Amino acid sequence: MSGIFDTDVENAWCPGCGNVPILNAVKKALERTGKPKHEIVLVSGIGQAAKLPHHVDVNVFNGLHGRALPAALAIRMANPSLTVVVTSGDGDIYGEGGNHFVHNIRRNPDIAVFVHDNQVYGLTKGQPSPTSDPGWTGSLQRSGVISGPFPPLAVAIALGCGFVARGIAADIEFTADLMVQAIAHKGFALVDILQPCVTFNKKNTYQWYGKMAYKLPADHDAADRVRAFELSLEWEERIPIGVLYRREDRPCFEELHPGVGDPPLHARETPPDAVRDLLRKRLFTLP
Amino acid sequence: MGIDVNIRIMGGAGQGVHTAGGLLCRLAVAGGHHFHATQDYMSRIRGGRNSYSVRIREIPVRAGRPQADIVLSLDPGHLPHILSSVSPAGIVVCDLPAGEAGSADSRVIAAPLKEFSASAGSPILANIVGAGIVARALGIPPETVDRVLTLEFKGDFLEKNRVAARLGAEWAQGRVPDSFRLPERAFRARMILAGNEALVLGAIAGGCKFAVGYPMTPGSGILLGLSADGPPLGLVFEQAEDEIAALNMAIGASYAGARAMVATSGGGFALMVEALSLAGMLEAPVVVALGMRPGPATGMPTRTGQEELAFVLSAGHGEFPRLVLSPGSVEEAYALAHHAMEMSEAYQVPCILLTDQYLADTVVDADPGDFPALPVNRRIVHGNDVPRDAKGRYLRHAFAGDGVSPMAVPGEPGITVVVDSDEHTEDGHLTEDHAVRIAMVEKRIRKGEALEMETLPPLLSGPPDGEVLLIGFGSTKGVIAEAREILSAGGVSAAAVHLRQVAPFPARAVSEILDRYRTAFTVENNRTGQLARLIRAETGREVSGTISRFDGLPFTPEELARGVKERR
Ligand SMILES: Cc1ncc(C[n+]2csc(CCOP(=O)(O)OP(=O)(O)O)c2C)c(N)n1
Ligand code: SF4
Repeated sequence: MSGIFDTDVENAWCPGCGNVPILNAVKKALERTGKPKHEIVLVSGIGQAAKLPHHVDVNVFNGLHGRALPAALAIRMANPSLTVVVTSGDGDIYGEGGNHFVHNIRRNPDIAVFVHDNQVYGLTKGQPSPTSDPGWTGSLQRSGVISGPFPPLAVAIALGCGFVARGIAADIEFTADLMVQAIAHKGFALVDILQPCVTFNKKNTYQWYGKMAYKLPADHDAADRVRAFELSLEWEERIPIGVLYRREDRPCFEELHPGVGDPPLHARETPPDAVRDLLRKRLFTLP
Repeated sequence: MGIDVNIRIMGGAGQGVHTAGGLLCRLAVAGGHHFHATQDYMSRIRGGRNSYSVRIREIPVRAGRPQADIVLSLDPGHLPHILSSVSPAGIVVCDLPAGEAGSADSRVIAAPLKEFSASAGSPILANIVGAGIVARALGIPPETVDRVLTLEFKGDFLEKNRVAARLGAEWAQGRVPDSFRLPERAFRARMILAGNEALVLGAIAGGCKFAVGYPMTPGSGILLGLSADGPPLGLVFEQAEDEIAALNMAIGASYAGARAMVATSGGGFALMVEALSLAGMLEAPVVVALGMRPGPATGMPTRTGQEELAFVLSAGHGEFPRLVLSPGSVEEAYALAHHAMEMSEAYQVPCILLTDQYLADTVVDADPGDFPALPVNRRIVHGNDVPRDAKGRYLRHAFAGDGVSPMAVPGEPGITVVVDSDEHTEDGHLTEDHAVRIAMVEKRIRKGEALEMETLPPLLSGPPDGEVLLIGFGSTKGVIAEAREILSAGGVSAAAVHLRQVAPFPARAVSEILDRYRTAFTVENNRTGQLARLIRAETGREVSGTISRFDGLPFTPEELARGVKERR
């Protein structure tokens, strides 16, 4: 596939890695939004997934491990005319960046967040991630994962996230469609993407996901929060994909924050007269 | 030497210590005098022992005094703790039931503060009754008190305050000595502000448009100020979920073209350290205001210290240039906060404003001329001024001569801005090419060398050579200056050097100064002499020693002068 968003940055992923179809889905989705490159910012943390923005010809902020969301939020606050998309790993967003995940869902900035959920730390070579299945043995947890898994969709629904979806790397069209909806959603939109890591996760493979995943039926009522929560906990027997939950009535952070808006911060002036007025408030004069 | 009256209001949290202290500051300025006010408070919301000290002189005052001449004690239970710090000819005004401990002391004047407060129509005006008594002792006319109260209160409550102050003043007639009366002087309009407020104003005047933080004393005061005073000038403020988020957010905003800052204390800064290194790597301009307090760990939350000097100089993994400024007065807090905003953007480096609880909470009157509306020089480039590769793509980290690459921001047609915390090529994409690595390291270091050319020189006062040199950074400036005067008056020829910039370090200037004095002491609110070590590292010269104070309180001039005499 070649398109307007291609870059010539060399691909550093393993052959067969689930990040490749996710990249294609991202490019497809961005193309479909019709937005020009200069208005899009891809933000990521650190990990294999977090390298994705380098392969898309848009504005890129590839920050620290776990810290994509704070940067993304601030970019939106500084310039709400930019379309901000976070695309990063499960370790990055749910593990190292867990606190930002929780609090930014509470804030509800207009950001689409794509989590490449391979249930493993790929870049650091195979340690369990917050979403690893209990009992799975990765490096560092040699007798198997003891902690219960972090349920990202359940957490997001519990916190009132207005767009909660699950995609699957293997189905580019389907996932790209979710991405388009997530970008269009006004507010924090989460798309957790089942992503095979062919090198370090020999359990949750293309085949495994293929067998477990099922598309939500057309009559699924995404407005039903309780039902969505129930679905978000399904994992052992089968895994729902599609838009689990959606509500459009919640205003986004940028709308509620009194200072955010036009003009963007880089274009705001500091008139000397306004500074003088401010200083005058500290000037003590007798009435 | 003229008048020098030190007043201390004491009471529990919630008893109006701060209000009465602030009122006395304004009364001093209304009478044409100058003051220096400091607070000492405990880390609690109610009760405890807090104090607000106001030292009044005919010349601008830049240091406090431990001994009080007039004490207004709002809690009689504090009396046993107070008397040792009252000067021999001083007075203590206190609502004292007859026969209480301390009443035998001839300096104690029992005053019916609560009773008059009730007569004024409110149970919470004992502090204002007391302020009325103190104003009377200072010889401030009741009309002046009335006028100043008009600035602080409104409506019915204003009236009650006026009555309370007047009841106090009338009662004091003939009951307080005349020895503290201030001479009459002409009023001049002055700025009245604390170190934290000045820093906030400087940052806003410097074009700060994005501020974020997580509360931690004494950084919280800066956040409060930014959130209150910033929005009218277009600043956007947000409370972060933690300090890690705070600095990453500021860097995100900076990437989008906003002048951005955070404020915190040592513990919060510790959490920001990785992001500081990110700013170094992304070449993102950002300002960190760090109000120091004693550590380690939570330490003494509401007290002062200078223990983070070594920390801020080396904080952040990897090698990258930084600017560290250390204001020594409210005037410098204003000027250097503005300077930080300008320099941080000019060299695309993180800048740390190193202050402490003492400077943060110190209130003085200052010359309005020291608070100019300085220009804001934005350096964002557009269109044809943007460096590009052969394919026309923007090179965010283009290899420019002095290492400073022209900075564009996302949102402009024809430009995409790519930054990465990994080592990167000129276009911002990650690389593991060793030759590029070397070139990028050199580019970042070159920026530091350019930054060094603009180092603010140390400020020397006193004789150009001689016996003793006192060296300090940050908030000790005023205390050292007065200690120097005391020493000189006592026949010890002493000079003082104040460092308002510690990184890049003004090594040559400090070396040259050091060579001219027989002995040199650093003056530091820490135990281990961090500035002395820094001077050794940067100049290869050993100072004679360090005069340190690390109990959580600021130095005072007499104590410092005594320390110098003992060590000389
Ligand atoms: C502060 C910090 N801690 C640890 C690392 C090392 N590290 C890099 S990526 C990563 C985990 C990545 O996992 P995930 O986000 O799931 O991405 P993946 O590589 O699987 O795509 C870790 C632990 C780091 N870069 N920074
Ligand atoms: S390690 Fe796993 S996630 Fe990383 S590139 Fe290889 S297959 Fe993909």
